[in-house]
Amino acid sequence: MKYLPLIWSGLWRKPGRTVLIFLQVAVAFALFGVLQGLKTGVAHAVAAARADLLIVHSRLSFIMQSLPSGLLGQIRAVPGVKMAIPVELTFGTYQKPDQGIGVVAVTPDEDWQSAFTYTIPPEYLAAFRKSRTAMLVRDVVAEKYHWKIGDHIPLQLPVAQHNGSSDWAFDVVGTFTDSDIGGGRYIVLVSYPYFDEARAAKKGTVNHFNVTVSDPKLAPQVADAIDARFVNSSHETKTESLREMAQSSMQAIGDFDFLIRAVVGAVLVALLFATTTMMAQSIHERIPELAVVKTLGFTDRAVFLLILAEALVVFLAGAVCGLLLATLTLPLAARFVHGLSMPGIVVAMGLALGILVALVSASIPAALAARLRVATALAGHRAA
Amino acid sequence: MNFLRQFLALLRMSLSGVTQRPGAVLTIIIGVTSAVAVLVSMLAMGSGARRQVLAGVHDDRVVVNSHGASGIQSSIPRDEADTVRDLPGIKKGSDGKPDVDFQSIVVIEAHRRITGRRTFFPLIGVTRPPFIDAQSDLHLTEGRSFRPGLHELIATTPCVRQFTGFAIGDKRPIGGADWTIVGHYDQKDVQQCVVLADAEILMSTFNSNTYTQATATLRSVADYGEVQRALEQNPSLHLEVKHEAEAREEGIRQLNGLLNFAAYFVGSIMAIGATLGAVNSLYSIVDSRRREIATLRAIGFGSAPVAASILCESILLALPGALLGVALAWALFHRMAISPFGFSFLLDVTPQLAVIGVVWALAMGLIGGLLPAVRAARVPVTTALRAA
Repeated sequence: MKYLPLIWSGLWRKPGRTVLIFLQVAVAFALFGVLQGLKTGVAHAVAAARADLLIVHSRLSFIMQSLPSGLLGQIRAVPGVKMAIPVELTFGTYQKPDQGIGVVAVTPDEDWQSAFTYTIPPEYLAAFRKSRTAMLVRDVVAEKYHWKIGDHIPLQLPVAQHNGSSDWAFDVVGTFTDSDIGGGRYIVLVSYPYFDEARAAKKGTVNHFNVTVSDPKLAPQVADAIDARFVNSSHETKTESLREMAQSSMQAIGDFDFLIRAVVGAVLVALLFATTTMMAQSIHERIPELAVVKTLGFTDRAVFLLILAEALVVFLAGAVCGLLLATLTLPLAARFVHGLSMPGIVVAMGLALGILVALVSASIPAALAARLRVATALAGHRAA
Repeated sequence: MNFLRQFLALLRMSLSGVTQRPGAVLTIIIGVTSAVAVLVSMLAMGSGARRQVLAGVHDDRVVVNSHGASGIQSSIPRDEADTVRDLPGIKKGSDGKPDVDFQSIVVIEAHRRITGRRTFFPLIGVTRPPFIDAQSDLHLTEGRSFRPGLHELIATTPCVRQFTGFAIGDKRPIGGADWTIVGHYDQKDVQQCVVLADAEILMSTFNSNTYTQATATLRSVADYGEVQRALEQNPSLHLEVKHEAEAREEGIRQLNGLLNFAAYFVGSIMAIGATLGAVNSLYSIVDSRRREIATLRAIGFGSAPVAASILCESILLALPGALLGVALAWALFHRMAISPFGFSFLLDVTPQLAVIGVVWALAMGLIGGLLPAVRAARVPVTTALRAA
């Protein structure tokens, strides 16, 4: 403890230099935090995706192909299936061609929302079940277009109604949030029975079924049982859990692994080099002072530790600030990956890395300082 | 004139001292190198994606979509397709028919060769047989083209490289039927896995009665307006026409935006770090030269040339970092194949990117040199000399 003032005065010997090193460390660790946080955060988000929520879609093609809604009864009859909800998807626009809206049509059975990743307040749920033309709006959509409850919203859908018109309108009855990382961002929920009745073509078809299982541990077996039921039929299915789907939609980030590693590597090498030279320069300038310290009775080891401690203080302060900054900026990346937040493990990794870089970059200058010979240092400091 | 002479003399002095301060100099160079290398290699993703998408684009080719839609969201019903075929301004092919190709696009799963992971690729049904035009960009590398009316596929060579099940003779179950791979083809530099089939058999397999989009060759580039007017004046059509380049760029605008955002975000942070390092190094250079600078000032050198020479030194030290960074990015990543978001392409380090990298480095040198230059100009002559 008694060395603290000594470390402190060493740090503030050249305040400009210390502040610059501190800033450099902070910047490096902010970048480390964002990149590593993105990578680990995505892995965590995938792991957190529901493995007990199954999606039954056409084996032909998830995106293009529809299934008859009549499969519902057979899916519900599969042992282990708790609930099955038909889901139809279409992609429309609001007012302008570039304002896309994903429309998810669901059958609002009792407790239907448990087969989805949405969080919906009970009063909105009740309102949604009551009206046929009701629409629930994801919070981000309501914010973007300033929609309020009670608004009558016109949407252009690539689906014709009986009168040939593709202009639809729905009443906003509430908002919801979505925890799914792979789902669309601008989505609204409408009633499937109404949607299916009003459209002119493709009646009685759905894009997929959302299925919950009574025992989450048996989800893979239930998925296989559902697919086995429709094998060799005209509507072969493929059943995947939400987690499996998140894995495949997020694997793109995995392709960036090499890049993230290269960038983090480049940052650390540049940082290591910059700080090592700065520390060496600092020690060089302080030779006379260090000689005096040694004359006063400090051992070589004490001087060595003193220099290391100085580096540790700057690096830890910089790393903490940088990681804090990264934690604050990472939610901005939720634009691309929903629900991203800084995993604790990345902060721990960052701090450990900070200590490591501090020790590595300070050890050579510290060893130089420890090996100083008092007599020559005191006598020859001009020449040094 | 006096300023210039003093400035050059000072600059020569600074640069001759470079070898005596290897630490500080290397710090600047390494910092700038890594910042520029990272920026350029990340920007190379965006330019690579763009290059791939625009490969083989023809000025006289147009894409017809349903209004406001692009990619697989577009749809053209058969009756509207007949109208498109008879549009004015469209060239006749070598077979005497209008050079219009209707495409039906289906997205199909594939599995990666090494990891076995699932990804998606487009299966495109075409109405005009490929390879019939001599000027076509497509080149058959192996096997033959598909026969109309049969469940046959031809795949690009990247499919074979990246995914399993694309060797000639392999069968793929798609839409309840077994499709046989009968040929491989290349399309210029394209790294994307694309599979072609006969549109009619594909649509009957998928029970579809609409094409996804159409591409047409114009008689001349000037006929674009005529086609556009013809589509607009026909109220029964819900179609719009775009230049091929425009339509393709739309398809990757989002990906490109994301890639460039990431590049500039990471590049900026690294540039800030490198600039801080440069400031620190230059401060220490100026400090170690206090006596020298004070002496120079005492014998009549002005403070402006002193400041200018430090600034110039900073920029000159950043320059080798810039060149090294661009060279590293080029050596390590140029033409490297990546496939983010299931879209495969080669990284492309273009001369424009090299220029951006160098400008970026010069900015780092300039900003990093400002404060140290001011400090050098302000060295108090008497105290600095007395301290010596």
